[in-house]
Amino acid sequence: ELPPSHFPAARAAAVALGYLRYLRGGPGRGLELRALRRARRQDIDDVGHKYYLELELEDVLDKDRTVSCTAEVLYGLGSNSSAPDVQITVQGELSSTEEADKEFYNRIRSLEKELVAENIPDSHGNVPPELEPIHLLAWAASGYVIWQNSTENTKFHLAQVKHVKQLKRSDEDLQFDYMLLLHEMVSQEVIPWEVAVLWHPQRGARVCRD
Amino acid sequence: TANMKLILIFGALIGASLCLETFVGHQVLRIKTKNEEEVKQLQLLESLEHLELDFWINPSAPALPVDVRIPAVSVQSVKAFLESQGIEYSILIEDLQDVLDREKQDMAESAQRQRSGSFDFGAYHTLDDINSELDHLASEYSFVEKIQIGESYEKRPLYVLKFSTGGSKRPAIWLDAGIHSREWVTQASALWIANKIASDYGTDASITSLLDRMDLFLLPVANPDGFVYTHTSNRMWRKTRSKIPGSICVGVDPNRNWDAGFGGPGASNKPCSDSYHGPSANSEVEVKSVVDFIKSHGNFKAFLTLHSYSQLLMYPYGYKCTRPDDYAELESLGRAAASSIRSLYGTTFQVGTICKTIYQASGGSIDWSYDNGIKYSFAFELRDTGRYGFLLPANQIIPAAKETWLGLKKIMEHVRD
Repeated sequence: ELPPSHFPAARAAAVALGYLRYLRGGPGRGLELRALRRARRQDIDDVGHKYYLELELEDVLDKDRTVSCTAEVLYGLGSNSSAPDVQITVQGELSSTEEADKEFYNRIRSLEKELVAENIPDSHGNVPPELEPIHLLAWAASGYVIWQNSTENTKFHLAQVKHVKQLKRSDEDLQFDYMLLLHEMVSQEVIPWEVAVLWHPQRGARVCRD
Repeated sequence: TANMKLILIFGALIGASLCLETFVGHQVLRIKTKNEEEVKQLQLLESLEHLELDFWINPSAPALPVDVRIPAVSVQSVKAFLESQGIEYSILIEDLQDVLDREKQDMAESAQRQRSGSFDFGAYHTLDDINSELDHLASEYSFVEKIQIGESYEKRPLYVLKFSTGGSKRPAIWLDAGIHSREWVTQASALWIANKIASDYGTDASITSLLDRMDLFLLPVANPDGFVYTHTSNRMWRKTRSKIPGSICVGVDPNRNWDAGFGGPGASNKPCSDSYHGPSANSEVEVKSVVDFIKSHGNFKAFLTLHSYSQLLMYPYGYKCTRPDDYAELESLGRAAASSIRSLYGTTFQVGTICKTIYQASGGSIDWSYDNGIKYSFAFELRDTGRYGFLLPANQIIPAAKETWLGLKKIMEHVRD
């Protein structure tokens, strides 16, 4: 049993959240951790360390409600092991983003010039309202990067979208090439990371280049 | 029209009997006359003194608009009259009292801004503006003094606000912010807190009794070189800006540079690292200046430092994972402070030692202060938990400052008592 206020459980929770943001996040949904209710750790010989977590999540666009979920995060042994294995179960429904997704999709598709933006948020923490979906999509993309690159000795957060450029595609997907700044809490480094992500209202976010 | 006139007179009599004195429900209409006949109708209206109509623009010629303030009781009947005559009008002001109330509030806020020298505590400021505000506070309050305890690497003054109502080297509390320059909510909160303490002395019982017995030293920008760099070049800069011999990289992590387990785990020996501990303990003048000041003072009872982000309230140790001797008291006080913080907006802070809560980190300031006899050593990590991180929106500065202040106050009250 681990104290939720201590860092080992907190780091595992960040990995679980990154994974979930990638799977379920997007321009209309930003999942944040409201509370870590419970955490346990199991050491599995020759395999690694497995964390069992009970989380309470909220959507930053709809803070009045929370949703519970359970997660298992397995960090493999060895310093060059692959991404942690994450299983996550959401209890109940996440609020629908259908309308917001459609509106965003149509807005971007109808732009005359490809979208380009930088410094989201800016130095003062401002995000222009029309760029908030771009910010949230970056959060989803960063979720992939965080999940893939985390170990028990790291804790990543998205610090800023340094630059984003839309790439026109001939198919139905939207494509955004992001330059993200990730803050790694243990080393305190702020690391630039390029990631290209596809997004579609029905198909969700997919990282195509990392 | 005879009926209309009866209604108008009747309405006016009711109004007179109610003796209304405010402007609640009064409307201002703009009337657009089309011809001389309509102008004459309005002049007739004007002559009915018991209606108490207040013409801001009197009816004179068809081409000119007529603006009139109508007392609440007469509004419906005047409108009915205009409509029955086919006279066009629009509503300029729906409720005059609303407008007056808002104007009064704007004026009060403006006056408050004038008094505080127009400093917006809910915005992020440059170093120059912050230093001006320190001067302003020192000049406005007799018990606030701006002192210089040293200079940064790039020769910027290290300014501390001394809050002292008298005595000679009274037991003192230390509070610093911005030792890591990218943590902007901390410098901003420190300013708000300074203003809060100064303006509440004499009216708030707790602050008054605190400053009547103890002195407070507040360093709002502990790393001015880094802070300027976050404005001019790299918003994510953390360290000092000192040149490191033999390296192209610049800067030392000032919170790994204190003489407490210096060079141990949780700090890097690589100059390019954001947690580089520096060539030796106290190598950074920003750190040495504080160390020298506190040692020569000799009577500090508390050492409090502000960081962001993560919403944590921590006490020693960071350089080792064993509990300090005063663990029970510090844990209990930390919980009480976190509880106070939560009472305002529900913001939760986790409480614990640095080593267990965040990571093992050597060379930290509160470890140094604790090992040098300052029992009440706490480090705060302010809002948020990662949504905005270092880039906390300015509209959260004052809420963050207010809740943090409650936590600090709880600790200071315990120290005082």
